[in-house]
Amino acid sequence: MEQPVQTEVWKPQNLEELVRILHRIFAEDKVSVEEVQELMESYESNPEEWLQYAKFDQYRYTRNLVDNGNGKFNLMILCWGEGHGSSIHDHTDSHCFMKILQGNLKETLFQWPEKKGNGEMTKKSERVLRDNQCAYINDSIGLHRVENISHTETAVSLHLYSPPFDSCNTFDQRTGHKHKVKMTFYSEFGERTVCVSMRERAP
Amino acid sequence: LPAGLSQWFPALEVLDVSGTGLAELGAELLALPHLHTLLAKNNRLGGPGSLPKGLGQAPLGRSLRVLNLSGNRFAEVPPALLGLRALQSLSLGGNRLHGIPPDIQELRSLEFLYLGGNFITSIPPELANLPSLSYLVLCDNKIQSIPPQLAQLHSLRSLSLHNNLLTYLPREILNLVHLEELSLRGNPLVVRFVRDLTYNPPSLQELAGRTIKTRNVPYAPSDLPENLVRYLSLASNCPNPKCGGVYFDSCVRQIKFVDFCGKYRLPLMHYLCSPECSSPCSSASQSSTSQSESDSEDEASVAARRMQKVLLG
Repeated sequence: MEQPVQTEVWKPQNLEELVRILHRIFAEDKVSVEEVQELMESYESNPEEWLQYAKFDQYRYTRNLVDNGNGKFNLMILCWGEGHGSSIHDHTDSHCFMKILQGNLKETLFQWPEKKGNGEMTKKSERVLRDNQCAYINDSIGLHRVENISHTETAVSLHLYSPPFDSCNTFDQRTGHKHKVKMTFYSEFGERTVCVSMRERAP
Repeated sequence: LPAGLSQWFPALEVLDVSGTGLAELGAELLALPHLHTLLAKNNRLGGPGSLPKGLGQAPLGRSLRVLNLSGNRFAEVPPALLGLRALQSLSLGGNRLHGIPPDIQELRSLEFLYLGGNFITSIPPELANLPSLSYLVLCDNKIQSIPPQLAQLHSLRSLSLHNNLLTYLPREILNLVHLEELSLRGNPLVVRFVRDLTYNPPSLQELAGRTIKTRNVPYAPSDLPENLVRYLSLASNCPNPKCGGVYFDSCVRQIKFVDFCGKYRLPLMHYLCSPECSSPCSSASQSSTSQSESDSEDEASVAARRMQKVLLG
């Protein structure tokens, strides 16, 4: 029986090495989604390596920039307190990779609402992502909501977005209406960013 | 826990005994005068005697600021902890609570209260008496309605209500001026106008009382039996600011939709003096229905702009 062809992926020994390999991959003209997903998945989460970026907020989840990929991608760590969740959102034509570093996150996929939709949005599927698992989504796959459904444990996830984007649409599950929001970072490179405006929030 | 704990570690400030299978936290903790954070998540606490007696009066009772009892088996909020007047943060997430005791208001210093993932069916209005509460989590419960008194929680910045059984919210929720986060998803919020079918028409006594009040019919205590004098003093003003009416026992519950700039409609429950009161009373003005609708949305528009940012997040 023929063996399936395996893409060989260099397993990063730590977070720094993961970032280095990502820089190399994204320096090319063509980037393979499967390669990035496998790479992210193969990195074994070690809290000592990312604790400096993991800044939690009492009231909602936070986005903490780790690396800005020479403009090709944004790598960030999201910190989810108990019960924290995102709204339903799109990804502004970018690729989105999401890897669990600690705890669990529930991802619920939704169909894009109809043009003049005025009804409840349709759930496509849901799953709970576990330690070190890496999920992928883009606008052609659909929309999603991500939540930490645990009432006892926090969750930490590593996200890669390519190309980087700083705004997206959030969707009201009951009506399908969308609303554009600007996304901000709670911290950058381990430093807490001064809160300029509390107005628009990350989804 | 070892009996000598407070003698060996008198300076202990943080103790984490989460995930150790403990079925009770004993008296050995009481004499720790500097312990401000006690984490006991994911244990087997919940039976009687899970918390030591005399907790509120002990040195520990005065020092404790953060208590995390999430992931245990509490079927009720343990009365022993209601004496913790310095407690700022309490988590009982993921337990088996069916309700919240009114005496929760004793936790005068509480800022953070996490009760998500229980079986809570209703919220006591006394919860609103917590003067410093800024983060309230009630998600993943069985709550059917929110008492309007909750709007008195002026410090509230984040309110988590997702995955409950709410069909509407009290209109007073618009008064929470510092609210930045409000989660409502996973509730069967009504999206269409619901006509209230349970309006009990006012009694003759109520109708007479209303007339006396709105027409300012003069009376003195000597004119009426004492019980009627008392009755007249209990008149409530109709919450509709455009209506000068009053009601006693009979009021209408009506759901109005407040529209947040066309993007998000919230069903808010209004209590009005009569079904006719959805628009300004005919005696007060000649406004048409559509005018009055936009008038009453004007009244909410300032609050609406503020809430919009909160809701669309």
